[in-house]
Amino acid sequence: MDSGSAIDRQAFDFLARAAGLNVDDPHMEELFPYVQNALAANEGLRNIDTSGFEPEASFDSAHFYQG
Amino acid sequence: MEPLELCYMSAGELSRLIRDRQVSPVEVIDAHLARIEATEPTLNSFITLLPDHAREAARRAEAQIQAGNYRGPLHGIPVGLKDLFNTAGVRTTSGSRVLDNFIPTEDCTLAARFQQAGAILLGKLNMHQFAYGPTGENFDYGHMHNPWNPEMVTGGSSGGSGSAAAAGQCTITMGSDTGGSVRIPAALCGIVGLKPTYGLVSRAGLTPLSWRLDHPGPMVRTVEDAAITMNAIAGHDPADPATTTRTVPDYTAALTGSVEGLRIGIVKEYFEAPLDSEVETAVRAAIAQLSELGATVTEVSLPMFADAQAISGTILMSEAAAYHRDLLARDGDKLTPSVRLRLEAGLFVTAADYLKAQQARARFNYEMSQLFQEVDLLAGPSEPITAPPILATEVPIGDRTVGTVGALTQYTRPYNISGTPAISVPCGFSQAGMPMGLQLAGRAFEDATVLRAAHAYEQSTGWHLQRPPV
Repeated sequence: MDSGSAIDRQAFDFLARAAGLNVDDPHMEELFPYVQNALAANEGLRNIDTSGFEPEASFDSAHFYQG
Repeated sequence: MEPLELCYMSAGELSRLIRDRQVSPVEVIDAHLARIEATEPTLNSFITLLPDHAREAARRAEAQIQAGNYRGPLHGIPVGLKDLFNTAGVRTTSGSRVLDNFIPTEDCTLAARFQQAGAILLGKLNMHQFAYGPTGENFDYGHMHNPWNPEMVTGGSSGGSGSAAAAGQCTITMGSDTGGSVRIPAALCGIVGLKPTYGLVSRAGLTPLSWRLDHPGPMVRTVEDAAITMNAIAGHDPADPATTTRTVPDYTAALTGSVEGLRIGIVKEYFEAPLDSEVETAVRAAIAQLSELGATVTEVSLPMFADAQAISGTILMSEAAAYHRDLLARDGDKLTPSVRLRLEAGLFVTAADYLKAQQARARFNYEMSQLFQEVDLLAGPSEPITAPPILATEVPIGDRTVGTVGALTQYTRPYNISGTPAISVPCGFSQAGMPMGLQLAGRAFEDATVLRAAHAYEQSTGWHLQRPPV
């Protein structure tokens, strides 16, 4: 699945179903463009060079600053 | 003493009078309740007001102090808590009618610590629904209004905390900060807002927005009051696994009035982003003032500032959606439409992108740690603009028009990513009379240094002494 502005309606509907949303709800017509914009706003994330960095899944800020 | 003077006294000043029995907690609470009655129709700071509880607690505090059992600087001090802090027996709505009848059976750790210190809870403060928005608009309980101009937003999400402290409705308020929700309303309402180091202040019993970005913090009128509050609330809590086991210092002892020897870095990228010229002038003047006071000021660079939105946005969206997933399924159609959309959008972030954001966060934190080898503090604007009009979705900055949400979180998000302490302290007023804030940020667990510098700056100015016209 490609995220960002490239998300198309088919992918949106697939993920919406997987998330338990009712894809027949008229609300989806509002949600679809919102999701497109929201993911597009974060698209730059993929261009960040993160080689050598593990995910901060267990975050402890002290880990980084103890001299 | 005039009731209004009691309302605008700092906790530091008020506590000395209470301790010396020159003022009774009953007088203090009565003055604040009268102030709330007079200003609440304009401001709408509170979701739930507790006048009977507060008067009873004040009488109890008065009796204790008369009997020689003075508990310390928060004894008899009026406090307000953002309405996502659980309070036993008092409804806690998180700013949503969906939780209108939710009455917790236990206090959150911070409410318990305030109570233990003898503080008096005046009520639960209005907020952006589920803390998911930086403006302080609330369609369920009414919008919050800025005391400096009620047509303008307070900022959010802790908007009621900002207006209540700025207008003298409470001496101390508490907010929570996931992308700026303490510092944004602090800057826009002209008060002090501290986002402490992640893990220094317990989140136990607070409705989460994002587990790895949420930071509770004090919103007050002086830096000394932020330090006094931190002395009461900081430290390990077994109920919050993220809290530190480090020894917590006396934060008031750090307020030496001196910045001599401190190295302050101005992040050049902050001034390349959209920034109102009046705000820029005020912030540069504030930094020059710190230099005159003895700090060494140099320019530094944080290239990943440009990535802060994507990193924190991805983490926030995913975690907020994960936490509120059941609520969305059950009551999605009862939520404020913009909040519902934000929450639902998080369901479309892939696990791979969430983990990529956490990887990027690690790199961001590494870069910031490198900066903190060169300098002790980072300085810049808290906000690129003064408070915009209520319900404005876009704001003009210079010759550009930018989205309100992005603008308001532009300078605050980086320190939610890093988890490092950051404070907003008043640094002037626009020609239209709206407050502006200077943001100072320090190394993790060096909150005392942040407070020290903010205090020295504050004491060299009179901005914190200004009162809103409300």
